[in-house]
Amino acid sequence: MTDWPSAFEAELLRLGVQPARARRLADETSLQAAETADAPGEVFGPAHLYARHLVAELSAPGAASPRTKFEPGPILLSLTGVSKRYRRQTVFTGVDLTVRGGEVAAIVGANGCGKSTLLRICAGLTRPSGGTVKRTRRVGFVPQDGGTAGWLTAEEHFTLFGAAAGMVPGRARSTGVHLATRLAWRPGRQQRAQQMSGGTRQKLNLVLGELHAPDLLLLDEPYQGFDQGTYVDFWQQVFAWRDAGRAIVVVTHLLHDLQNVDHVLDLGER
Amino acid sequence: MTPRPWLHGFLDLCLLAMLRERADYGYGLSQRLAAAGVADVPGGTLYPALLRLEEQGLATPSWAPSEAGPRRKYYAITGVGRDLLDGQAADWRRFRDGVDALLSASEVRHD
Repeated sequence: MTDWPSAFEAELLRLGVQPARARRLADETSLQAAETADAPGEVFGPAHLYARHLVAELSAPGAASPRTKFEPGPILLSLTGVSKRYRRQTVFTGVDLTVRGGEVAAIVGANGCGKSTLLRICAGLTRPSGGTVKRTRRVGFVPQDGGTAGWLTAEEHFTLFGAAAGMVPGRARSTGVHLATRLAWRPGRQQRAQQMSGGTRQKLNLVLGELHAPDLLLLDEPYQGFDQGTYVDFWQQVFAWRDAGRAIVVVTHLLHDLQNVDHVLDLGER
Repeated sequence: MTPRPWLHGFLDLCLLAMLRERADYGYGLSQRLAAAGVADVPGGTLYPALLRLEEQGLATPSWAPSEAGPRRKYYAITGVGRDLLDGQAADWRRFRDGVDALLSASEVRHD
């Protein structure tokens, strides 16, 4: 059995904390527990859960530091009066949305209210029945599922999708691997997409959507199948993109992350 | 004691205020918070908050031995921390006065 500080340190490492820092945090946490004369597990709960909590806390903007508000960038996506009908059924009408560089927009609403359809309209994959859509040229689109080829490995996907964006193979591969590590994922050389877990396949999708450094990222619930730690990594990644001046639109049915986004478009409440 | 969600936004403010009074270590701060009737803050909430203050340069740590047991990490407020605390204290008072005003207005209506 591993003792609490070792388990804690191991989980910090798994979450991508630098080794020296992980060691220091583990030492300090033991000393903190000793202040109360209790075992670390008594004070902080299970080691792996506290490690995730601590990493999330240290990267989250605290009350003491309201997030740096960047000058909003140029408009990268603009929907005006967009509607969608299937035959006589109106899915939605009158949707307006403007997203600038450095902003995150969330599309929320119950199942079946047309969130994914609207995102496909944003991407130019589905035609709206009415209204106008203007978008920047470089767009990344991450579908809810699918989009990967089962018999190809992660690196083969990087090469293939990179080629479509005019990247040479070596650069596409190294970029893909680099982006994967940011999601706490190290792609296996031999592993084909069909052998990956659902969460890992979603990470692959996410990396492919970002590979060509798009200015506008459209994500359709891309974290399904992620465990808690990866879910936290995902939002950190979204905010890192935002702070790099990109525009991000996320379809989600989870409401507890909306406090940090710039626009919320509720399709259910219309 | 304060409901947990309320404290979330004000824990940093409370910690900086206590550190401005005097440098202290984690467990000491949690006892002072409890004694003030503000909150019983679990270690899993307190220590990440202290580390965050440290990493943001709002508090600076130093290690000191304790009479019994392991050494302790004492935090002292920095100049940046003081400036931030001044601003946040003003925000807090505005907020508190606003809530008070709403509460007393509603109490008059119901009398």
